[in-house]
Order: sequence, then C-alpha cells, then structure tokens
Amino acid sequence: MEELIKELKTKVIDVLNLEGMTPEDIDDNAPIFGDQGLGLDSIDVLELLILLEKNYGIRLTSPMEGKEVFQSFAVIARYVAEHRTK
Amino acid sequence: MRVCKTITIPGNTSLTGLYAEKVGNYPKFFKMDTLSKLGFLATELLLEGEADRFISREDRAVLLFSRSGSVCDDSHFAKSMEDYPSPSLFVYTLPNIVAGEIAIRNNYRGETSAFVLEQYDKERIRHVVEEAFQDRTTRSAIVGWVDVRSDTDWTCEVSLIEK
Amino acid sequence: MTERVACIGYGALTPVGPSASASYQAVREGRSALRSYEGMFGCKEPFVASLFEQRDRFEGYSFMESIAIRAAREALDAAAINPSSPRVAFVLSSIKGNIEALGQEDVSLSVSAARIARFFQNPNMPIVVSNACISGVAALLQGRRMLLSGQWDAVVVVGAEVQSRFIITGFQSLKALSAAPCKPFDADRDGLNLGEAAAAMVLARSDRGWELADGAIRNDANHISGPSRTGEGSYNALRYVLSSFAPEELAFVNAHGTATRYNDEMEAISLRRAGLPGVPVNSLKGCFGHTMGAAGILESILSMQACEQGCVLPTRGFSTLGVSEPLRVSAQAQSCTGRAFVKLLSGFGGVNGALLFRKGGER
Repeated sequence: MEELIKELKTKVIDVLNLEGMTPEDIDDNAPIFGDQGLGLDSIDVLELLILLEKNYGIRLTSPMEGKEVFQSFAVIARYVAEHRTK
Repeated sequence: MRVCKTITIPGNTSLTGLYAEKVGNYPKFFKMDTLSKLGFLATELLLEGEADRFISREDRAVLLFSRSGSVCDDSHFAKSMEDYPSPSLFVYTLPNIVAGEIAIRNNYRGETSAFVLEQYDKERIRHVVEEAFQDRTTRSAIVGWVDVRSDTDWTCEVSLIEK
Repeated sequence: MTERVACIGYGALTPVGPSASASYQAVREGRSALRSYEGMFGCKEPFVASLFEQRDRFEGYSFMESIAIRAAREALDAAAINPSSPRVAFVLSSIKGNIEALGQEDVSLSVSAARIARFFQNPNMPIVVSNACISGVAALLQGRRMLLSGQWDAVVVVGAEVQSRFIITGFQSLKALSAAPCKPFDADRDGLNLGEAAAAMVLARSDRGWELADGAIRNDANHISGPSRTGEGSYNALRYVLSSFAPEELAFVNAHGTATRYNDEMEAISLRRAGLPGVPVNSLKGCFGHTMGAAGILESILSMQACEQGCVLPTRGFSTLGVSEPLRVSAQAQSCTGRAFVKLLSGFGGVNGALLFRKGGER
C-alpha cells in the first residue's frame, strides 16, 4: 500500500504540475481539497478522474463520485487497490 | 494617454527561471500555458513596486492583442484528444484566459479583453486602447502584444498605460 | 453628428431559419433544432447539439466563413450601406473559427476575418474580439466604441461559430454537456448544448432604429473556468449599464442561461444584486444551444425583434425554477411593454458582459 500511495502522489504531482512538491511533502491522511489541501480546483478533479482511468482502468462517472474517492491519498490508494483493472 | 512603463520578454527566455528569480510563491504559475505565463510574468515585472498592488479595483483594464491567439494550445489539446482529452488543456484554448489570470492575480474587476489582428499594427492597437477608455470607470490599462507562435517562439511586450 | 449608436441592419442564419426573421418566427413558435448526434464529426461519445443540415460553402471559403458572409449580407442589404467604403470596418466574433482545419491550414481567426471583410471588398484590417463566450457582446461594444471615436461611418459586427470534434470533445472533457436538450434555470438542468449559427449587425451613428445605448465588460477576478459565487463581474457589468437607466423601463433581461448549474445560479445572484428580480428573464439556449461567438449577436437580434413585437420569448426547456433567487423566468411567450432590454453573457477567463439596447429616443 505504501508503494501505491507514493506512486499515486508522484503521478498527481506530475499531472497537476504541483511544482516543487515531493511525495514526502504530502501527508497520507491529509485532506486533498479545502484550505489545508493542495489548492486543487474543479478542473483538477477532472484531471484526476482521467489519471485513474488511464493508469488503473478505473472509470468514475461523475466529479461528485470523484470527490468521495479523492479525500486523501490513503483513501485513493485503498480505492485503487480494490477496483483497479490494470 | 500616457505609457508609464513597458516590459518585453525575449523569445527563448526560461520562464520558470524568470518566475523563480522575480516572483515565487504563486504555484498556479506552473499550471499556466505559455501565453498565460508570459502575460503573468510581464505584468509582474511591470507592476513591481506599485503601491496598493493587490487591492481589488475596477478602474484598470487588461487588453491583450496577438496574431496567433491560442494556436499553440490548440495543438496541445488536439494531441490529447487522440488519447484522453485534457480539460485543463482545453480551457487554455481561449486567447483571453491570460487576461483572466492577470485579473485573478491582481484582483482586477475591470474590463478584460483579447483581440486578434492579422499583423502587429501599433496605430490600430492605440485606437482600440483609446476606445476602451470610453468606459467611464477605466482609468488605466495593461496593454500587451503577446503572440505565442510556439512554446519557445514568441513576442511579448506589455505596457502600463494611463488615460 | 449624433452620439447615438444604432443598429441599422441585421441578419442571422440558424439551423431553425435562413434569416433573422425566420429564426425569430421559429423561436416564437417554440421550435428548436437540438437533437442527438452519434458519430458526428468523428466524436467518440454521442452529444446533443443544434447543427446546420445544409453545409454548403462558397468556393474558397470555409463553412464558418460562408455562414458569416451570408448573415453579413442580409444585414448589409437591410442597412443599405456600401461595405467597400474605407469608412466601414468589420469586427468578427468567433471563438474557435476554422479549428477543424488545425494542422492543415492557418486557422488564425484573423485569417477568417480578413477573408470575410475582403468578400465585401472592404479595404480595412478587420479586428477579431476573442473574449471566450462573451465575444459577441464584446464585439458589439467594440463596434459602438469605434463609432463614438468618430473614425468610422459604419461597423459591421459579425459573429459565427460552427461545431467540430475539437469543441465538442473539449466541452465533454469538462463534463459541461447535457445528454438531453438543455434546461436553462430549471431545477433539473444538468449542462449545456452546443450550437451553430451566424449573426450580424450593422452599427452606425443614427437617430433611428434600435440604440446600442451602453455596454460593459467586467472580470470576476475569481477563477478561469468557474463562475463567481457572488456574480461579481456580471453584477458589476449590469450595474454599469443601468447606472443612468431605471430598471422599470426594461422589458426583459435576455440572460446567458447556458443551463449549467453554476452559470445560471451565478446569473440569478447577479440579477438579484442589481435589483432586477421583478424583471422577466429568458434564455434562448434551449432553441439554439450555446452558439459561442455568435450568441451575443444572435440573441440580441432575436431580443430586438421580440421587444418590438411586445413579446418576451419563451425559455425553451425551462419548467421549474431551480436557482436560489426568485427570478421571473419566462417559460412561455408573454407580452411586455418596455422599450428596452439588457443582454447578458459570461464566459471562461472570468469575463462577463452586459449591453443595454433601447428603442426610444429617435428624433
């Protein structure tokens, strides 16, 4: 799981151009959205949906569903481990 | 009209380097396309040291001109269409997004507009700017020719003009 | 010379009508060309849009340029002016122009604008206003300003948009499209539809005809793709055009009304802040879809005709109010008495535009 979390963080940092940030800078359980989060917006959510589909074959249909999954990196990793098709 | 100050950013300049040297602490910069990065950086240099810089105002317009519009971003998005169409690339396929980025950064609630001309024409641009000052609220404007032909080839000249 | 800028001729070409008056009649009767397409333009996912069936083009011109020329010709015939005069300028409003030819030819909007102007033997370099979804309103405002500067005798403002895989895929990637005909301001609204159209107005300083009395563009300074939660820019633009005009004199406000959750809510807030909840509001997106660069000009032309007939056009697709403010959305065609209206638009980049049109004041 730890490895998957790190892999996800690396991919998210790359896709969302979170320049200067490293996987170690992000707490596994910290909220991704909101003021304490990574400063992501609605378009970032859409990019994250694509990231899951492209890399793990997971197709979430709505941004709302996405927000449930994108709570923290620990939650995303658990979801990916359970639902991945590639 | 009076031109207060002009900034140019030559083609091939390292925009990330310029950002690191002159700005820093605005992570949204890294999400921008080349056109927005240029407009943003030129404005940062232009407004360096301006008093009350980030206080919300409605009396300053942002008027940007180019020939190429968003053609460079159009190609980037078209490429993503073959695989997974990227919403963040699509948003930048509008030539006026750069004006919006400048407005957000500086809290400008005045007019923002983007124009496309067949070629650079100083006189024509001067007229459009003069006409924009017909707005009863507008007192100054950030005016630029920011023409991005590719991610390394551009013309970027931005001025602060007062009525 | 009068300082009154007026529309001295208009034209439109839409999937529901080959002219401005035919398009008006179709909307009056509640018709729409919105339908579902599968495999159109090579798009992977199906979509609902309002598209032209006939896609003829003039030789040497793209389809977008061809419909722009046809709309401009109708407007110029009505205005009876000579478009080849050096005192006439062209302003083009199109968001993506010939984007379907990307990679094959120069798709710069300025190239299309020059072709359209030269079709009419106009000697001047045209100007393209590229201000996302408010381009049509911004182009009309630009035309008004050019006339007030005294440099021009007439300005031909042309808006045209055709659809393509590029645009549809882009809006799909933003999850902004509805899978059904759109429902502006409705509780069940779930996104917009895209549309094709061309529309043109000839503006001149004149004591007769509809006056383009004022206009403003204001930025939200909030987000490049999300509308302001407080309707900041839209409200500021509205406030500006109504600064010396009593809202009671308005027949209606023709809103942007794209039928996305956020846009319609934002406009409702802006209208309430401007003190207009009592004024009838409508949106024409349920008839034409979002015709992008053509929208501001097309919807203004339809609104002028409606106001002249004492009619607030119906908001096709609307049934139950679904915004937080008590707007008077016009579900059915209704009668009105005012001789003025406001056209509103908002778009990406945080831009908002408002125009005030009025009929009185002729001398």
